[in-house]
Amino acid sequence: MEKDKVVLEIPYGTRDFLPDEAAGKRVIENQLAGLFAKWGYHEVVTPTIEYLDTLTMGNGRSLEPHMFKFFDKNNRTVALRHEMTTPIARLVASRLKEAPMPLKLSYISNVYRYEQTQTGRQCEFYQAGVELMGSSSASADAEVIALAIRGLLCSGLKDFKICLGQVEFVNGVMEQYQLPDGKKEKIRRSIEERNLVGLETLVDSLDIPLNAKEILKRIPLLHGDESMLKEAYGIALNAQSRRALDNLSEIFALLECYGVGQYVTFDLGIIRDFNYYTGMVFEAYTPGLGFPLCGGGRYDHMLSDFGNACPATGFAIGIERILLALERQGIKKPEFPKDVFVAYHEGRTAEAVTKATELREAGKMVELALSAQTEAEAKRCQKEMGYKELVYLA
Amino acid sequence: MDAKDMEYLTIALPKGKLFKLSSNLLAKIGYEAEGLTEKSRKLVITNEEKKIRFIITKTADVPTYVEYGAADIGVIGKDVLMESGKDVYELLDLGFGRCHLMMAVPKSERREKLTDYTHTRVATKFPHIAEMFFTRQGMQMEYIKLNGSIELGPIVGLSESIVDIVETGTTLKENNLEEIAYIMDATARLIANRVSFKMKFDRISAMVKDLRAILESEAETCES
Repeated sequence: MEKDKVVLEIPYGTRDFLPDEAAGKRVIENQLAGLFAKWGYHEVVTPTIEYLDTLTMGNGRSLEPHMFKFFDKNNRTVALRHEMTTPIARLVASRLKEAPMPLKLSYISNVYRYEQTQTGRQCEFYQAGVELMGSSSASADAEVIALAIRGLLCSGLKDFKICLGQVEFVNGVMEQYQLPDGKKEKIRRSIEERNLVGLETLVDSLDIPLNAKEILKRIPLLHGDESMLKEAYGIALNAQSRRALDNLSEIFALLECYGVGQYVTFDLGIIRDFNYYTGMVFEAYTPGLGFPLCGGGRYDHMLSDFGNACPATGFAIGIERILLALERQGIKKPEFPKDVFVAYHEGRTAEAVTKATELREAGKMVELALSAQTEAEAKRCQKEMGYKELVYLA
Repeated sequence: MDAKDMEYLTIALPKGKLFKLSSNLLAKIGYEAEGLTEKSRKLVITNEEKKIRFIITKTADVPTYVEYGAADIGVIGKDVLMESGKDVYELLDLGFGRCHLMMAVPKSERREKLTDYTHTRVATKFPHIAEMFFTRQGMQMEYIKLNGSIELGPIVGLSESIVDIVETGTTLKENNLEEIAYIMDATARLIANRVSFKMKFDRISAMVKDLRAILESEAETCES
């Protein structure tokens, strides 16, 4: 038999992080972990694999084709988690059922999806996020949005924009024209697919007054500041759509208190997955990146699918997307400082070890030479490896 | 899309039959640049005054440039857009470049029902759309992806049928082919990157509004 061939490639859609890249990733993750902790969010870790039935509970069916699935020993179908919200909802509905509410949880982990791979969109990717369970108030929504903005700022990004929408606005507007369920579903789908031409054709085929058609067609274009929101009140004719707008005004007023109002634009055409989100939804964009950096919203029904009804809101930030945006915007990638290189002359090993230990205890990042060197050699090493300082024991 | 590109609007135009029609239409709303022709050797043509950049690409690549955000806006046929499956905003039906996608077979070998073609070979430039169509009919087919001269497939025995776009039907007739199933209509569409549409909302929505006004006034002139 031929000897096994050496396989050096890695599976489709995965990547290695070399030291520089891993350092960038780690620094951002540490910053986010520190920030989440300061806001009172507690980190949880859940298994990388879950039962497929758990991940597809309620609405995940549409994502099933994108999941990595296999069988366990007992032939039950398991899958790699495709996001963190569902596993955390499962956790809250089971082991944290008795915990006092509201519950503030955070995570930093890898998730998996079969995707057509492109930059910033791999099959395995890293997300940092929070889930706030047990409150349906606008203040909970405002808190997660403000935290997402702080997260983007602490990673070093300066130029980004948050678009804030509310799925109940669209639902309410459709309700006020008493559209049949089948048509509502089709309208939601064309908005989700960003197919405004399809939306127009669909709306034109409906048996409703002309001005109602104009209103439905305008939904994806309702984008702007508070004056746009005022304008939207003019087309919100029932309690449901007005409540949605009231909710957005309330959230925005709170975001102003947090001092982050300037990052936020209202956008009633922002639709993330309709089957999942039940209230406010938001996405973050930055120049240089063709897809959102971060997304989130309120999902009040998911926990009831797990038998423990509980309102919830949260967001996830794409770590690789932040790194990519920083690079494209020419912002210096965060890195670990390389402080001191300790080298020594023949016979001074013990002193060098003591010196390195002292410096490390003093909080410096130190590399100790592995063998004795001349001072010239030591200087060359320090330069090559990029250390700020050389300590040479002659 | 670079950070510094925020002030520019980058528009991807496809080579071929849609090029002239789209550049003419865009010129009517003031989106033009000196030297913007299909034969231009320059790959990027800029209008510094109006902060517009045009890139001219192969037809099938337009959705890719737009999905990645390398172009903010693009003009592309619905057939190519749908086949690409790219995640972009489809903003406006520009009305020109009208054609339809259909299945055709050699006249002499026409079978009675569409389903009689199950498990046969179909030559096409649009394997994804074709598969969606046949799957809906409960049919499994063998798809042979070709990049041009699709009509040749049945003539030389490469396939039993073709799925292709038809404008006038002349090519079909010349090759003794007959349309047996209609799949979808297609016209040129204005598409936008999903982030550009939000980051440059005012500019892009104003552009759509202007284009819509032109298209409507032209439609009226045609009718009267």
